Amino acid sequence: MYIVFYSTSHVFEAEEKLNEQGIECSIVPTPVTDKAYCGVCVQTDFTDAYRHIIDMEYEIIE
Amino acid sequence: MIYLDNAATTKYKPDEVYDAFNYYVKEIGVSPGRGSYQLGIEASRMLYQTRKLVGRYFGVTEANVIFTKNSTEAINLFLRGFLKQGDHVVITCYEHNAVLRPLHKMKEEGIIEYSVIDRDDLLLTPEQIFEKYVRKNTVLFETTLASNLTGRIVMNEELLQHMKTKNITTFVDSSQGAGKITINMADDAIDYLAFTGHKDLLALPGVGGLVCFEKPIWKPLIQGGTGVLGDEYTNPDVFPDGYEAGTLNMPAIWSLNASIKWLNENLDAVKANELKLQQRLLTELQQLDNITIYDAEFERLGVVGINIDGMKSNEVVQAFDKYGICTRGGIHCAILAHEALHTKESGIVRMSLGWNNSIEDVDAVIDAIKKVG
Repeated sequence: MYIVFYSTSHVFEAEEKLNEQGIECSIVPTPVTDKAYCGVCVQTDFTDAYRHIIDMEYEIIE
Repeated sequence: MIYLDNAATTKYKPDEVYDAFNYYVKEIGVSPGRGSYQLGIEASRMLYQTRKLVGRYFGVTEANVIFTKNSTEAINLFLRGFLKQGDHVVITCYEHNAVLRPLHKMKEEGIIEYSVIDRDDLLLTPEQIFEKYVRKNTVLFETTLASNLTGRIVMNEELLQHMKTKNITTFVDSSQGAGKITINMADDAIDYLAFTGHKDLLALPGVGGLVCFEKPIWKPLIQGGTGVLGDEYTNPDVFPDGYEAGTLNMPAIWSLNASIKWLNENLDAVKANELKLQQRLLTELQQLDNITIYDAEFERLGVVGINIDGMKSNEVVQAFDKYGICTRGGIHCAILAHEALHTKESGIVRMSLGWNNSIEDVDAVIDAIKKVG
């Protein structure tokens, strides 16, 4: 699962929040879609990871 | 050499700052927000970490920091973005040209008007200042943290608080003193703050920024590549990326990361040393008959502006230079302050202390003044 953002700053804020919760994640190139986002995104296998970043603006790409 | 031009740029930095710069240049060396390989990702992570560190240093919990190349650019970014046709601004007579000139240019363009609080009026109560200077169309109150000319601390928390209660946006230019005076934007009622890295924050030249208590909604100063939403024809409406078009000076930004961490650990010692040195300098100067000290009666930084009877400031600076003492004369990009102090013709000799000056430096300066004067 990819969590994509508009701002690069938000990517690393999300990484920080997930790491604080002990959720494993990686920063990887954003998958190409029909819409442009920031060049990197958060990849994680934890499907409920989004619960820890609900105050942020993001999209989920499966 | 005795370096007393720290108000212009702190020449000497803590070793950690040089180490951080070297590390970034040698081990990272790529731009943040661009490449999506591991080294580029690490650069972006380091940028985020610094953004957050700077925000917290100024009392903002979110990473609401826009990086620029210096405070001048940050001030221009703010003023050109925030102010609208017909707005009125109140500033103090101690503002640097970095504030005065963009405002005056906007005035010449017929966009805004501004008023300058007189030197004497800075001693009025916040209510009196508000009554005298604020108009119906006043939207912004701007103040420098401290005078780059005399060291006088100008920022008045009570005045900022009062302006905020009247729904006037507040802005502080912290270029002078940000690494010597603790600022908390929430407690001090500051909406926006400009900073520069190369002065009292002890970073390398080439980084400054705008700290925003709340994320701005106005237009960026420049258009260009932002590393995000590259399919759009203009800067994306994304904070902070949309305000940072072009490649950031990441080596300087990483040096700022190191310098702020150093200040977080050493600020009390820096303050104590500077207080000791400025007291010694002022005490010795006050015993000399032929010296005028400007703003000596006010709470201050370790920046002291003087003149020696019968000499122009440039002559004194040149004479000091022969003794290996670096000071600055002239106008110091602070024409409003010189007009307020009536020193436009003579200029002022500015001696600005830094974190690693010593009592021996101060004594050497006093000896030099006795010989020069």
